[in-house]
Amino acid sequence: MTTILRKPASLRVPAGVIALIVVLALGPRVLSTAALLNVQDAVGLALFACATNLLIGYGGLVSFGQGAFYGIGAYTVALAWMHLNASFWVTLVVAPVVGGVAALAVGLLALRTRQLYFALLTLAVSQLLYVIVQQQESFTGGADGVFGPMLPGFLLNPGNAYWFTLAVAAIGLLVLWQITRSPFGMTLRAIRENRERAEALGVNVFLHQLLAFTFSGFFCALAGVLYVVWGQSANPNLFSWTESGYPIFMAVLGGQYMFLGPALGALIYEQARDVLLASFSDSQLVFGAVLLVIILAAPDGVAGLLNRGRRLLARRWPGLAPATSRAAAAARASGGQDTKPDGRPETAVR
Amino acid sequence: MRTKHRQLGRDLLRRALLPVAAGCAALLAAGCASSSGGAAPSNSPSSSGGTVDIGVASTLSGPFADYGTAGLDGIKLAVSQINSEGGLLGKKITVVSGDDQLDPATGETVTRNLILNDHVVALFGSVSSGVAAAQEQIAGQYHVPIFFHIANDVGLTTKTFNKYAFELSPNTDMEPAAAALAFAREIGHGPVRIATITPNYDFGLDTVAAFLADLKKDGVSYTVTDQQTPALGATSFTSQLSAILTSSPQYVFVGEYGADLVTLTKQGLGLGLFSKTKVGAMYDVEVLQALGAQAPAGAIAWDRAPFWTDDSSQMQAFVTAYKAAYGSYPSEFAITGYSAAQAWAYGVKQAGSFSADGVVAALSGATVPTVRGDITIRSCDHQAEVPEETGTVASAVNATYGIRLWNADVLSPSPSQLIEPCS
Amino acid sequence: MSHYLITFLSALTEASALFIAAAGLTLVFGALRIINIAHGSFYAFGAFAATTLVGGAAGGWRFWLALLAVPFAVAVLGGVTEISVLRRVYGKDHLAQLVVTYALFLIFGDIMLRLWGSAARSVPVPSALAGSITLGGGEFPVYDLFAIGAAAGVGLALWALLQRTTLGWRIRAAVEDRELLASAGTNVPLLFTTVFVIGTLLAALAGVLAAPLESVAPGLDASIIISAFIVSVIGGLGSVAGAAIGALVIALFNTVGVLWAPTWEPAFIYLAMIAVLALRPWGLLGTAER
Repeated sequence: MTTILRKPASLRVPAGVIALIVVLALGPRVLSTAALLNVQDAVGLALFACATNLLIGYGGLVSFGQGAFYGIGAYTVALAWMHLNASFWVTLVVAPVVGGVAALAVGLLALRTRQLYFALLTLAVSQLLYVIVQQQESFTGGADGVFGPMLPGFLLNPGNAYWFTLAVAAIGLLVLWQITRSPFGMTLRAIRENRERAEALGVNVFLHQLLAFTFSGFFCALAGVLYVVWGQSANPNLFSWTESGYPIFMAVLGGQYMFLGPALGALIYEQARDVLLASFSDSQLVFGAVLLVIILAAPDGVAGLLNRGRRLLARRWPGLAPATSRAAAAARASGGQDTKPDGRPETAVR
Repeated sequence: MRTKHRQLGRDLLRRALLPVAAGCAALLAAGCASSSGGAAPSNSPSSSGGTVDIGVASTLSGPFADYGTAGLDGIKLAVSQINSEGGLLGKKITVVSGDDQLDPATGETVTRNLILNDHVVALFGSVSSGVAAAQEQIAGQYHVPIFFHIANDVGLTTKTFNKYAFELSPNTDMEPAAAALAFAREIGHGPVRIATITPNYDFGLDTVAAFLADLKKDGVSYTVTDQQTPALGATSFTSQLSAILTSSPQYVFVGEYGADLVTLTKQGLGLGLFSKTKVGAMYDVEVLQALGAQAPAGAIAWDRAPFWTDDSSQMQAFVTAYKAAYGSYPSEFAITGYSAAQAWAYGVKQAGSFSADGVVAALSGATVPTVRGDITIRSCDHQAEVPEETGTVASAVNATYGIRLWNADVLSPSPSQLIEPCS
Repeated sequence: MSHYLITFLSALTEASALFIAAAGLTLVFGALRIINIAHGSFYAFGAFAATTLVGGAAGGWRFWLALLAVPFAVAVLGGVTEISVLRRVYGKDHLAQLVVTYALFLIFGDIMLRLWGSAARSVPVPSALAGSITLGGGEFPVYDLFAIGAAAGVGLALWALLQRTTLGWRIRAAVEDRELLASAGTNVPLLFTTVFVIGTLLAALAGVLAAPLESVAPGLDASIIISAFIVSVIGGLGSVAGAAIGALVIALFNTVGVLWAPTWEPAFIYLAMIAVLALRPWGLLGTAER
């Protein structure tokens, strides 16, 4: 328990990320509406993918059912508007909570299984919700989904919608990032590496995984809200197992082992899909082929490739090396003290 | 001191380099993807010479791909004929297409990209009503005329209607009305026992409800013995059909279509459905071709545009041209697509420009010459007053076309018998 | 009363092709520990190839030819796939394996669309099996009875293979304990390829067998793989007998559920799958994971 209750290290947002957000915020000034919607969609998917990666990359839990919470987020907004005429600003807050609670419930059931069975169970939950939403016409709008003026006027302006999406996604990603950097996140990774050892050290594995599942569900639902902002509608396909597959593939494509890897994957996928959709034939073929190549040749994803490239270039231009390895090189150069490859000093065990 | 600041600055720059580069790359990629999103660049329609793009955003993959592909083929044929005659207002037309994969979100993206990247001056809509409703919203938002010729939910011309939308197919009120007339012709006044089976979603449920209501209006008295609503995408209908047979109906109304109807027919044949009851369903040329010798002779059939019942010279010419271009006979969706393209071209010629408001005004209330004859487009809801033919499935192979089609006793109700008057 | 008999027999028919397909899936998982999403593609390949071979000819001999030849042809494709692609992911984590087979599923789906287009196709019932017999007041198609018989035959053949042959012994050993198998001197890669080829053959066979019962159209691969998953999970991944039970359970759910509560019927099978996975993940007859 102590690992969860201890506060994480101080809130240090890399200057780089702030710069990235600033650049993206320039979007509405620089891009056409179509391109803007494109990036907006990608940003929302980035949140979805990174939230899923909390489970996959950090937790080692391959869930093929995060679409369930994505859909719950979107449908909470849509149905609250349809049946209760609720204000978007209210449902914006309620939807992720509903997603988190649902994830808690599902997690209690699903986390009793391991590995492949866990993946299949989450897939079944996703599909279950899909058929229920499709069939219960009168409550959910059925196969066609829910359409209508469910967004407040403020968000009908493309620029506003874009900045809103960017802001919400940035905050969501920030919180997720803090979670991964916290002792909780470290413990989660330790569990992923070696579950038995973690248990032997007294870690409550089930609780950690359950919390990770809950957090993931919360943020996947938030991503679902962003979907509604983009599409002004909700449809049952959001729950299907194929939809659940997308954040997984984005994580694989971009890189599961870096926090923003899935975000990169989302961006690449979004652009590629747009280009492929225009030529309707063979988009599936290309997508499948790319996935195959990535898994077989570059399992670290594009981010991993970029990292490797950076290290290679750093041999020629040391200035390009990532900060930690530069510190290590500097320490080694300044003489004597043994440093580990990532810059931490080696201490002898007595 | 200064070196420390410089160090800090350089450090910040290094840390920020990769993310900033990523951000710029993202925006650049988005900008590039948008501008190259189309299959062909287009010039502004106002310049003389050059080309003009029209967009087809339909379902081109998955279980209903043949509907969307047929529509696209029909539209492309119309466009190639227009171009060979010198184009429209001196410009060549290019068809740009996108696949919505039967997913509303993808449909929205594709439609928006067609409008914003390819600057299409007209859109032709999708197969499913769900996607179509989304497309209608977008077309209305950006003021682009959109022609629906496959999706035919009556909501498109009522609930979600805006002036830029046109429906060229008989809608979900008209189609069941035609089916009801066909059943009434067989039944007389009854009383009879009827069962229904239809897919469990908007289209299916609305069709059955409208059919039963229309049957009553046509003076037929009946009792409903059983109603089955298999889930969308069900692959087996044997349990439902078996349940229906147990209730001993004399007539069965089937709402399934396309591949599902093929499956249902095959499974129904095995259960004796067609010998024990009289079945009515959308037995169009694609279903009949797939079934071949297994097509149920004598079954009531309806079709939105059965080419073999129309012996006008323009239809014959179209069928020949279509067969030459694509190697198969045109389905109803190819014909409605072709007619939709003809309607749009007519609107452009009447308006003398490609402008959306001009075309919309020209078409509203107009009578348009199409391959199906002259069709009036109502001004109140832009629903085309089109017929829906019904008949019975033939037992012998059609001499001209080499496949089993319908018997000669085709019913062709006038649109006024089918359509609800404008409110 | 005849209605219930007919309904039960219809359930058996539905279970037949499903069992054969699921048996292939579950064998592959049991021995190779891979969930092959592309298994559905092989099923669809079998069905589509049958439509080409049989054409519109209601004659019938072509159907028998398809039933014999198509599964072997598709099995070759399966073998090639296993050797060239799947061998590279055996050592990797489950996510990598899922992604690879899903990628193959996408690629194969596109190839099928290219080869056979998007129109719905149909294989007519062979004339030798056409018609129906009267059972207690209702009619039941002869072909359906054949399908049930064929499934029983396949089940028996698989049982014989697994219980009575050396290969079968090796396969069972692979399902039980892979490490032991390698140390016992078996050529494991060859064994894996063999199992995968058998699995693919079963999938394609199921596809050909089912073709006269339904329409063959795009989307066949997706629908069968989900059903096969559910059946394999309920029956127990790795158990052929489990696949038989699972197929029957699912088919009964579908047929009975449809009459009881039609709007909730599609949900039943997923509920069953969730229940089994939560309470007894290795299914009714599977081996508990170590």
